[in-house]
Amino acid sequence: MSQAPNNQGNRLLQIIARIEDTLLVLMLSAMIILAGLQIIMRNVFQSGFTETDSLLRILVLWVGMIGAIVASRERRHISIDILTRYLSVNARRYVDVIINMFVVIVCGLLATHSLRMLLVDYAGATIAFSRVPTWLLESILPVAFCIITLRYMMFSWQSIVALIKARGQA
Amino acid sequence: MILFGLALIILALLGAPLFAIIASSAMANFYMADIDLSVVAIELYRLAEMPALIALPLFTFAGYLLGESKAPQRLVQLTDALLGWMPAGLAIVSLAACAFFTAFTGASGVTIIALGALLYPALKQAGYPENFNLGLITTSGSLGLLFAPSLPLILYGIIVQQMNLDQSVTIDDMFIAGILPGLLMLLLLIGWALYVNRKTARPLQKFAWHKVRAAVRASIWELPMPFIVLGGIYTGFFAVSEAAAVTVLYVLIVEVFVYKEVSLKHLPEVMRDSMILVGAILIILGVSLASTNYVIDADIPTKLFNTIKEFVSSKLTFLILLNIFLLILGALLDIFSALVLMIPLLLPIALGYGIDPVHLGIIFLANMQLGYFTPPVGMNLFIASHRFNKPVMQLYKATLPFFFILLFAVLIITYWPSLSLSLLGR
Repeated sequence: MSQAPNNQGNRLLQIIARIEDTLLVLMLSAMIILAGLQIIMRNVFQSGFTETDSLLRILVLWVGMIGAIVASRERRHISIDILTRYLSVNARRYVDVIINMFVVIVCGLLATHSLRMLLVDYAGATIAFSRVPTWLLESILPVAFCIITLRYMMFSWQSIVALIKARGQA
Repeated sequence: MILFGLALIILALLGAPLFAIIASSAMANFYMADIDLSVVAIELYRLAEMPALIALPLFTFAGYLLGESKAPQRLVQLTDALLGWMPAGLAIVSLAACAFFTAFTGASGVTIIALGALLYPALKQAGYPENFNLGLITTSGSLGLLFAPSLPLILYGIIVQQMNLDQSVTIDDMFIAGILPGLLMLLLLIGWALYVNRKTARPLQKFAWHKVRAAVRASIWELPMPFIVLGGIYTGFFAVSEAAAVTVLYVLIVEVFVYKEVSLKHLPEVMRDSMILVGAILIILGVSLASTNYVIDADIPTKLFNTIKEFVSSKLTFLILLNIFLLILGALLDIFSALVLMIPLLLPIALGYGIDPVHLGIIFLANMQLGYFTPPVGMNLFIASHRFNKPVMQLYKATLPFFFILLFAVLIITYWPSLSLSLLGR
């Protein structure tokens, strides 16, 4: 995060990071509380709400996607780390640029196509459960992939700057 | 297309996030087949349609929470009081405690960090050889993977369920199937510990009731947990997702409010940390649903099966090849990615050879457990090297005997299906 253009940009990034973290914690808390309530309802009052079940399943998706956003920010996505160990510092700089830009393209495509799915459900006014429209529940997909794309654009820029700097020094 | 695939493999080996690799291969395949790419998004959304999946975030969080508390110390104290009187007592204590802890925390390296830090110095002080200790701790980091409620067992059940096979597999089945193979691994390692230290290892202490009482008193609040969770699951009182919710609530109350070892202030950080792992796993599961959809649409498992069938006619030969393949896979890929990527391909083929889906799951996970410390890239080798500040080469050497012992166990598990299936009556 050291390459932010200026202090204000840096602060903005910090605020966004705070929002992501808070949402993640809130979603997990909601999941735990709802799951607990559901068990009590089912075993004590012999009645569960099907809405709660649907809501819990949606929460899994949302927690997963927001978790993926934070994993992107902290570069903690699962990857195979075999060759990088044996690369020279210089080669690693090139590889960084390529990988970051690759993720930008893939996540950009995922964002576009999940937005298209959302628009179809929006136009069709499909309902997921109760009166909750499907598009609202799906919205986490385009949003998450947008944020991940932006994040990796930033990483790409940083890795290009690092590469140019290193070449300038050589 | 072949060039594109090759490029993806190289990118993956260079450390590109696996979810991006899988997503791009799925999109490329759908694009070539003239299928609208929004199908990838539709498949991703199916993450919200799997009722059992909630067990994954809940158990992961519970595991992280346990790792943050002093539960590991209490666990060691208790196993020590119960098993410390045996010859090579401390080694046996280590193995049993690690297996138990790994089952509850998922084999994500937490065991080595949380328990290894306690056990390694203790083993050293008790006079066990250094390489034995290093090997023991590193191996124990994935021991217990086959015991409920470990995350990989749950994930295997979830993946198989959404494949809609004729033969059903429930997560409960997996929990029961893992018991005997898991015990086999544990017993073989205990045997090895006894053998290596046959001359030197004296019992830690005599069995003493007052020690047991003290240890039980210390962990009195945590003791009911395995009984509630495992008892609840095995008797069918709880569904797995409910058991996960009960575990989380129980662990939260005990560690935060009773023992007060994790402060409320620290709690959000633990939540966040655990959910990063969950996010990393779920996004891979999500995009692999899309790639699996293509794989099945294109009938690839059947084609693969027909090709393999030409060269491999017997079930036995297939199992041998499977073992070799999974060992390599386990050293390269983490267990979660390996599961979501390979099971949809492997399972139909294995079924073609008449292998029970539950048995395949146990074979797969047992091999993957080995992969955690298979040189040169097993993850736990690096975690242990980092944690104990030892060169990776020394860890390669230290884990080698353990590797061969567990390899022997994996072979027994593979070629003796009843070990996994008899408790299920399959």
